[in-house]
Amino acid sequence: MLKVAIVGCGKIADAHASQIQRLKGCEIVGVYDREPLMAKQFYERFSVKRYFDDLTGLLSDARPDVVHVTTPPQSHFAIARFCLERGCHVYVEKPFTVDEAEAQSLVELATERRLKLTVGHDDQFSHVARRMRALVQSGYLGGPPVHMESHYCYDLGRDGYARTLLADRRHWVRNLPGKLLHNVISHGLARIAEFLTSDSPQVIAYGFVSPFLKRLNEDAIVDELRVIIAEEERTTAYFTFSSQMRPSIHQFRVYGPKGGLILDQDHETLIRLRPGRFKSYLEKFVPPVILAEQHLENLLRNVKTCYLEKFVPPVILAEQHLENLLRNVKTFLARDFQMKSGMKYLIEAFYRSIIEDGPVPIPYREILLTARMMDAIFAQLATTRPIVDAESPA
Amino acid sequence: MDNKDFIVGPDDPILVTGASGFIGPRVVEALLHRGFRNLRCFVRPSSRPSRIEALNAYGRDGARIDLVEGDLLCPEDCTRASKDVMVVFHLAAGTGEASFPDAFMNSVVTTRNLLDACLQHRCLSRFVNISSFAVYTNIRAPRWRLLDESCPIEGRPELRGDAYCFAKVKQEQILTDYGKRLGIPYVIVRPGSVYGPGHDGIPGRVGINTFGVFLHLGGFNTIPFTYVNNCAEAIVLAGLKKGVDGEAFNVVDDDLPSSRRFLRLYKENVRRFTSIYVPHAVSYALCYLWEKYSSRSQGQLPPVFNRRRWHSQWKKTRYSNEKVKARLGWTPQVPTAEGLRRYFQSCVDMGRHA
Repeated sequence: MLKVAIVGCGKIADAHASQIQRLKGCEIVGVYDREPLMAKQFYERFSVKRYFDDLTGLLSDARPDVVHVTTPPQSHFAIARFCLERGCHVYVEKPFTVDEAEAQSLVELATERRLKLTVGHDDQFSHVARRMRALVQSGYLGGPPVHMESHYCYDLGRDGYARTLLADRRHWVRNLPGKLLHNVISHGLARIAEFLTSDSPQVIAYGFVSPFLKRLNEDAIVDELRVIIAEEERTTAYFTFSSQMRPSIHQFRVYGPKGGLILDQDHETLIRLRPGRFKSYLEKFVPPVILAEQHLENLLRNVKTCYLEKFVPPVILAEQHLENLLRNVKTFLARDFQMKSGMKYLIEAFYRSIIEDGPVPIPYREILLTARMMDAIFAQLATTRPIVDAESPA
Repeated sequence: MDNKDFIVGPDDPILVTGASGFIGPRVVEALLHRGFRNLRCFVRPSSRPSRIEALNAYGRDGARIDLVEGDLLCPEDCTRASKDVMVVFHLAAGTGEASFPDAFMNSVVTTRNLLDACLQHRCLSRFVNISSFAVYTNIRAPRWRLLDESCPIEGRPELRGDAYCFAKVKQEQILTDYGKRLGIPYVIVRPGSVYGPGHDGIPGRVGINTFGVFLHLGGFNTIPFTYVNNCAEAIVLAGLKKGVDGEAFNVVDDDLPSSRRFLRLYKENVRRFTSIYVPHAVSYALCYLWEKYSSRSQGQLPPVFNRRRWHSQWKKTRYSNEKVKARLGWTPQVPTAEGLRRYFQSCVDMGRHA
């Protein structure tokens, strides 16, 4: 039985506990939060064995094999290092650390101690992300990616988190080098990092405070970001973070020499873009299911105008969307469609790597590359716009 | 009621947390109306400027209104806010919209911080905690039972699937614990469904709009409304009246409408929309099935609909305000008919509705 501990009892810790409790062969032996009341409420809701008001006590008394670090990012490094030094494997929530130097240090320590580390990029292990990975590994792209586009949006009006962040000049997110971006973009960047082969791609970043935030007298939080990532004369990528564009999408597109894939995280759909073209006007015909109406409209319009060339793709796309729908229904009926099913898979894969002493689910190279790209982005933003001290009044 | 019945005098400092919220400004107003002139209003930095200005405006007639901006999660802010204070009206709380931890932190941890700060200053005469009807369990009670202050509190609030309920139960627990262990004098006020101008939406006890169409679940149930000004008056009396330490008070108005009547009036006065009535047996069955499936699927559907919630929100229940009337001398100044008229008018004026 693998003994698991959780450090930090905020919102994301709930997701960790829910997914850990779905797994066989492990149990949560203890939780710790520097606020004892938070640890206690967590202990009561999840029937955890014990709760602690100090980290040393958790590690020495509960003696966990694995520790999940779900605290704010500024504390990830110190807590993860402390746990590694005491012989625990560590799962660190995203962003892994505040910068690459910290990430590198943790990776070296884990390697030296023959312990395992992973980061909470669980979006990369959702059902649809795993299908995409399998297709890429099967050679669907026809070679290394030529170009990628990762959109990771965040609707600032969506929940209380943004309101709290905007109002609270002492909020911990404001003290991160990349502020809001730092806490959010690693999911979208990690998707790109997975398919890059170079360890030092060129990164060109442009970011600004949206007019929406400026109207709220917010001038410190960059909430619009565009990034170009390029490996020398090989793969290129665009990364987009936006709080303002609608729909607020989480999509990843990857194009190879022979085909492309579009992953839609929100709708859990994966569309295969086939290479080549049809030799007739039967080229353009189908829609996705949620977008089926629009695609059918296009189809009908094409029929009316007799452009037979434009008939087949919508049909193919519709078929693929139906396929996605059926997969999603099947997954739902199999009761594996939880909001955080990717996290379950990642945790399971991480635990398996510990038990079997196999490879970790997210290679350290990807963790470091993601951290490096984030550092480069924030460094460029810092030089191109004035940084306002988080403690100073608006 | 004569002010000699009160535990503090007009110049004694009084703290109101959540002062810029929905009920808070009315509490401030009611205190001023009763001649209390030394008020401290604790507001979050995120408070709407218009509400802050409204609070500032109260201070023009010789009353002292100190606005204290801060975060109750910060012990230093709590210490600063509660210095020399004799009565605390603690209205600030997490709404539970975000998550269990969020609701808990903003209701329980904040309350603990404030209680600790009050203990440091050693001058507190009363801590008034604003709770909710959400804390009551109704699970083993017969239909149409009378819900009053003697009814049991939810024993397993984590199973209600409602972060607000969980946080409020735990908030009451920590308060009563501080009362027993450390001698904090307290009163708990549990308002029913507080309504009034500035608060849009239809209470969940009437129905829900979760699935794209409004499902009317209340039927002929009585909705435990209390108009915001009436509620504020009850809160003020609970904080001031002598001889009620350690008590809890439910606050509901008189002449409560049924869910069906409220919905009809809402449609007539605010906006017409389609609603589907779901009989109680059906809503119970759906909650039961949802609960079972949620458990069986390990949370594939979040456990937000369940039998505990059904018993609490949609079971036929009667409500009593006898205790608050008898012990605090409270009477609802705004009749329900007038309260609803003002509320509907506000919904129309603001263009906001469910």
